[in-house]
Amino acid sequence: MLEKFREIQAALETRPHLHRIGALFSETVLVEVDGEEIYLVFEKGHLVSVTPGPSKKTPWRFALVTDRAALEAFWQPVPAAGFHDIFALVKIGRARILGDMLALVKNLRFIKEVLALPRAARTEDAA
Amino acid sequence: MTVEAITGRYLTAEIAGRRQRIYFEEAGQGRPVLCLHTAGADTRQWRHILNDAEITCDHRIIAFDLPWHGKSLPPEGFQTEEYLLTTEVYMESVLKVAETLGLDRPVLAGCSMGGRIALQLAARHPERFSGFVAIEASDFQPAWYDIDWFHRPDAHGGEMGAALVSTNISPFAPEAERWNTLWMFMSSGPGVFRGDLSFYTRDDSLVGRLKDIDTAQTPVHLIVGAYDFTCTPEDARRTADAIPGATLSVMEELGHFPMSEHPAGFRPFFVDALARMQPAKTPEHAD
Repeated sequence: MLEKFREIQAALETRPHLHRIGALFSETVLVEVDGEEIYLVFEKGHLVSVTPGPSKKTPWRFALVTDRAALEAFWQPVPAAGFHDIFALVKIGRARILGDMLALVKNLRFIKEVLALPRAARTEDAA
Repeated sequence: MTVEAITGRYLTAEIAGRRQRIYFEEAGQGRPVLCLHTAGADTRQWRHILNDAEITCDHRIIAFDLPWHGKSLPPEGFQTEEYLLTTEVYMESVLKVAETLGLDRPVLAGCSMGGRIALQLAARHPERFSGFVAIEASDFQPAWYDIDWFHRPDAHGGEMGAALVSTNISPFAPEAERWNTLWMFMSSGPGVFRGDLSFYTRDDSLVGRLKDIDTAQTPVHLIVGAYDFTCTPEDARRTADAIPGATLSVMEELGHFPMSEHPAGFRPFFVDALARMQPAKTPEHAD
């Protein structure tokens, strides 16, 4: 799963519009997948590091806790209902969002599009 | 180059004791169908139905911007007010528009909070309409978010609102229409989405009234998208089951803004709904 988020890191560098939208976003986000912790450090809309956990010393602003199968379904080009959006994942019980929700909502488009980058890549590959 | 058949005009009506200048669009001739937009949006959501010549050949499709929305300005004195939509003002707005335009028992078609108020009117003023199409509509939806997120001085409520509602747009939606749909939320006035959500997420007065709806006189058809996580198919089913005689269609590939996000996918369901808007035949006239 770490490799997947490193792919996201590389893909983000090719999306200038996301750097603009995320220009004020400089936070650490924790993604926990089946208990595997991954820390995503954003700096002004760039993902500057993808670091494996566990870590009790790394402060994070908000966290997405989910499972591998849910993320694989989320990244499908046309995801099934419930797997198409991070809030929908929460609603169907396949994810939890912890921490500073307002920080997430203020940057919601940026975060949603960053997390969905593998889907965008698959969609573009299929085209 | 094309010029669309839609025409836009303004009407003025007194609603809750205040003068309101309301923008409306219409196209077509025939049976009137009055269309209501969702929270935080405007009449543009109905642009594809208004431009559908096969529908407007025998229906007069009309959509209007609620005050504070789209091209309908807020009322005089708004600058010191907190906008909070209420059931009573919303119902009066719909009734006044229908009255001012001289509509004779139109079909009322509303989406999301528009569907909610359509069901309220089905319960409380059925004599004013000939049928109700309630899209992405349910008896009550408490908020799973904080509505105050969407009106604050340190962030853009419209952009946050758009990002939130994107949860409810289907991945089957054409990309251009997804973003056209989101643009309306991005460009809504400050506090308007929040004020609409106050009505949508706090007013549960419809729950006890659903059983009073007489679908033999005024048919009620609900339509819901499987990708709608605000009003889910389960929410719509619960609501339809509480209305004796109501019917429900589930759109497997659509979300919460079907007429706007995926016009081609929505069209057959809307055409089907209009065809259902006939009063039940009395036993002596039944086939």
